[in-house]
Amino acid sequence: MTISSKPGSHTAETVAQEVQRFLEQRTKQTWDPDTDLFSSGAVSSMFAMELVVHLESSFDVVISGPDLALDNFRTVNAMTAMVLRLREAQP
Amino acid sequence: MLCAQVGPEHGGTGLDSRANGELTARVGARCSSLRSVMTSQGMAAWTVRRLGGPEQWDTFLPRLTSGDLAAVGFSEPGAGSDLSAMETEIADDGAQVVVTGRKVWITAAHYADLLVVFGTYRGGATAVVVPAGAPGVRITRVPNPLGCRAAGHADITLDAVRVPADHVLGGTGLPLPLATTAALTYGRMSVAWGCVGILRACLDAAAAHTTTREQSGRVLAEHQLVARHLAELYVAERHATRACEHASASWDTGSPDMAVDAVHAKYVASREAAEGAARAVQLLASAAASDGHVVARAYRDAKLMEVIEGTSEICQLILAQHTRKPTQHTRRKVQA
Repeated sequence: MTISSKPGSHTAETVAQEVQRFLEQRTKQTWDPDTDLFSSGAVSSMFAMELVVHLESSFDVVISGPDLALDNFRTVNAMTAMVLRLREAQP
Repeated sequence: MLCAQVGPEHGGTGLDSRANGELTARVGARCSSLRSVMTSQGMAAWTVRRLGGPEQWDTFLPRLTSGDLAAVGFSEPGAGSDLSAMETEIADDGAQVVVTGRKVWITAAHYADLLVVFGTYRGGATAVVVPAGAPGVRITRVPNPLGCRAAGHADITLDAVRVPADHVLGGTGLPLPLATTAALTYGRMSVAWGCVGILRACLDAAAAHTTTREQSGRVLAEHQLVARHLAELYVAERHATRACEHASASWDTGSPDMAVDAVHAKYVASREAAEGAARAVQLLASAAASDGHVVARAYRDAKLMEVIEGTSEICQLILAQHTRKPTQHTRRKVQA
């Protein structure tokens, strides 16, 4: 199975754009792909949960178990990499 | 039925949050103790689903849908509202882990076959599935709970309990707030719908009583001050129902607001249930003043619902935090 078996096709660029759009909508500020969301202090446990659920429903993936590790949500680039990996692993 | 959102692939009925909510309210209207056992079972299943990997789903979820009972341990003697003070420790030891700590007021623990115990692990936190009969586990029932008296609340002592390492959900340390929020979100939905049930039971009892009992030559409901209580009770039930329906819709559509909507629903529904149950006692008066009466039980049970799965005050703090927009000024102050 390939990535294209998922509804809608995504590249690193489109995933990153969507994550940045969501972050901007929620935090009213723009985020560089490598900025650490957590060290900036802008993220609460509720917000981390919002990110998990948003990524799951936007990209049709399940984020569970070890994938919930903080490092996967630290930056836009980290979230993008996880989403692409999960889309490939969860056809 | 106790964890009805588990999918058929694991032996469950696969209800969505809304349908499970209505089921939970139906049970909650009759017995908040049984509903509390459902909350624990569902939260255990959801914790396995959220924090565990696919192999752990296959191992544990079929047990939860086929009759084994489960309890979920968060609270400790020194860690109630502040779960970051949790001291229970999950430590690696070869192919096993060693679990040490104390948990208090764990719903359904008296009945449980499996304990889903939260603790620190590898610099983070997660939950571990501990068989209730494992050597080193001691479960002591809370003698006289204020409410939900048949819910099997118990304190748990874990004295260097050894379980296989693959019982550690996810097999890694996760951020504690994320791990607990994920699990509690299910519990909050379940408690909120249970409170809708409490309100429905109170409304039914109050309507029946005030339309049959006569005082001063008229049925009670025709006295204006009584009618106002009935109206307020109806509003409370509608208000709680709407908050729960909204949160369930967020859950079922995968809305990012799901976690905060669950906090909102739990806050609203438990507050309305506590006020509504007190109002129902006022309406039924001596008819509801004996301990086993449905309204007397509702009065005792509803108060506990303002305490469990995040007190009303903790809910208020979460909701207040949610309204705050991060700015350059506050960004440094808000902690992850």
